[in-house]
Amino acid sequence: MSASAQAVSASATPERVVRPEFHGSAAEYFRIWIVNLLFTLLTLGIYSAWAKVRRQRYLYGSTRLDGDSFNYFASARTILKGRILAVSVFLAYAIVTELYPVSTWGFIAAGIALLPLILVRALRFNARMSAWRGLRFDFPAKVREALPLYLGMPLLVIATFGLAFPWFIARHKQFVISHHAFGSSPLGCAIPVGKVYGIYFRSGLIILGMSLVAVLGAAVVSPVAVLVPKVGWLAFLLPVAAIYIAYAFAYAYLQARVTNLAWDNTFGAGVRFSSTLGALDLAGLYISNFLAIVFTLGLAVPWAVVRTLRYRLANFAMLVSEETVHEAAPGLVNIGAAGQELGEIFNLNFGI
Amino acid sequence: MSTIAAHYYDGKRAQRHPVTLVLAGGRLKIVGREVDAEFEASRVRVSTRIASTPRWIFLPGGGACVSGDNDAVDRLVRERPLQRLLHRLEAHAALAAAAVLLVAALFWGIVDYGLPYAAARVAEHIPVEAEEVLGREALDGMDRFGLQPSRLPPEKRAELAAKFEALAALAPDAPAYQLEFRTAPAIGANAFALPSGIIVLTDELAQLAEADEEILAVLAHELGHVRHRHMMRHLLEGSAVALLVTGVTGDVATATSLAAAAPTLVLQSKFSRDNEREADAYGLALLRRAGIAPQHFSAILARMEAQAPRGPMLPTFLSSHPATEERKAFSGSGGNQR
Repeated sequence: MSASAQAVSASATPERVVRPEFHGSAAEYFRIWIVNLLFTLLTLGIYSAWAKVRRQRYLYGSTRLDGDSFNYFASARTILKGRILAVSVFLAYAIVTELYPVSTWGFIAAGIALLPLILVRALRFNARMSAWRGLRFDFPAKVREALPLYLGMPLLVIATFGLAFPWFIARHKQFVISHHAFGSSPLGCAIPVGKVYGIYFRSGLIILGMSLVAVLGAAVVSPVAVLVPKVGWLAFLLPVAAIYIAYAFAYAYLQARVTNLAWDNTFGAGVRFSSTLGALDLAGLYISNFLAIVFTLGLAVPWAVVRTLRYRLANFAMLVSEETVHEAAPGLVNIGAAGQELGEIFNLNFGI
Repeated sequence: MSTIAAHYYDGKRAQRHPVTLVLAGGRLKIVGREVDAEFEASRVRVSTRIASTPRWIFLPGGGACVSGDNDAVDRLVRERPLQRLLHRLEAHAALAAAAVLLVAALFWGIVDYGLPYAAARVAEHIPVEAEEVLGREALDGMDRFGLQPSRLPPEKRAELAAKFEALAALAPDAPAYQLEFRTAPAIGANAFALPSGIIVLTDELAQLAEADEEILAVLAHELGHVRHRHMMRHLLEGSAVALLVTGVTGDVATATSLAAAAPTLVLQSKFSRDNEREADAYGLALLRRAGIAPQHFSAILARMEAQAPRGPMLPTFLSSHPATEERKAFSGSGGNQR
């Protein structure tokens, strides 16, 4: 709290507002995406590592902050190595847990035990492969520092039947942001836990309220299914769709508010940040993206990516109170991509 | 001699310096108000061209220049043929359209031929013993919920088992199986193949059948599932589909779970229907060998459908089984379509 108070007092001097801009286009990204997909299918997945580098370099290179674009450095070979490991682990998990259901517990235990390591290494890889103004980002957190948070807190969450979950999320976001650094300039972040509880409480209300509407709607529609069996599946689908929409709204609300809260309480040398994502805007994006992707059989994916990125960038701001020239961190060693790829394939979202 | 407008970063401080790059006599000069450096052009590494994004020129010693003038940078360093090809492919709308068609064709080829073929070959190499734990647990699970010991007279069971054994013996490639009799009031007339060759026949099906040949027709179909390792193939195909769908929708981080669930469901049920058709074909071929009329199969299918509790009807693309009409027509033709 004291840290955010500090940032507010610093704003007495006029702040310069810097917003990132996206200079690419959906059409341009579509062409890159489809060529990537073509070669990935032709090479049975091998090319996907090169595809990822091209995609990231396009998205980073098209994003400018204060006149300078970002750069993505990762080499496709490093990503390929990580990806091969991740796919092997995924296939072993998918097949072994199916054949020997008991082994699921073993995989879960191993996953939880390795999570701090995977998380730290994934974030470090991504940070070190990203640069702005010729300076790399870094994530110098030690696995040791992540252990109490990612092994201890989940136990607390279970012991309190989930009541500690918002607290865990606050600590997690804080850990991820505050251990990032631009060159040798670290970021600071102090998220007020009480506000995160408020956000989770209201998103729970959203789910509850909208589910109630969905169930009532289903009760009204279900007689139709009995009368006209041909469209019976529709009556089955409608409540499911309604629940999905409720979920999308609650999820968008959580995403928007928690992200805003996290960035509004983040500061660095001479800067603080601001995020103004709207819950309704995000929900609209999620739902329209989903529909567009389904009805174009996936061809709308690049368009969805670009418009989501545009929206997120437009609602992010860096408030500069003191012009600082950031300096490089000395001696960054290379890092493998295994953690990053494992996280991606098991759909873990470490992002902020 | 060519010059390029660029920005220079020294890599130590995040500060931009406007500079002009001059290439002359194999040397790259970087000239600006605060910068004056010169490098051997061969020691400079240039990033590949991607659409209209600015190019990075990495200098020995950690510095770098950035220029949005892609054509000028191309004149500075000639890209490798493969990189030039990639950029050209990505630059034209017509080529992108062609890529869409190619991707669609490839996708269809992979889903319709490649994946099922690969899954079948891999499944053949996995010993049936690997499924034993799963098969036992599946049967135990069903015995706890829904299935009860058969109430058919033991003589009737022995008779059916013997007839089925005789039928299976006619197949040149009959797999090992284990026939189980159960009564299932909740499920009704049905038969199913479980992993490791367990075939469960419900009393309700035996009672619904008007002739033993009808029961044998259903069991022959289930034997087809066992013979073609459909359990194992389903599992392999499921994992592959998950990877494939992640590959296509993977970068829509926020919509992934939602957008990936739909195609996975559609693809999985497509594979399931293909497996049913394969089991139908196997069963009918076996009936032909035994001289049993294939109409017995369509007869029991029709009666099972008429008797099944009316649930919500799923459209074909979401259904695990082909439409009964199609299956009846197939067996009516004697199973000769495939």
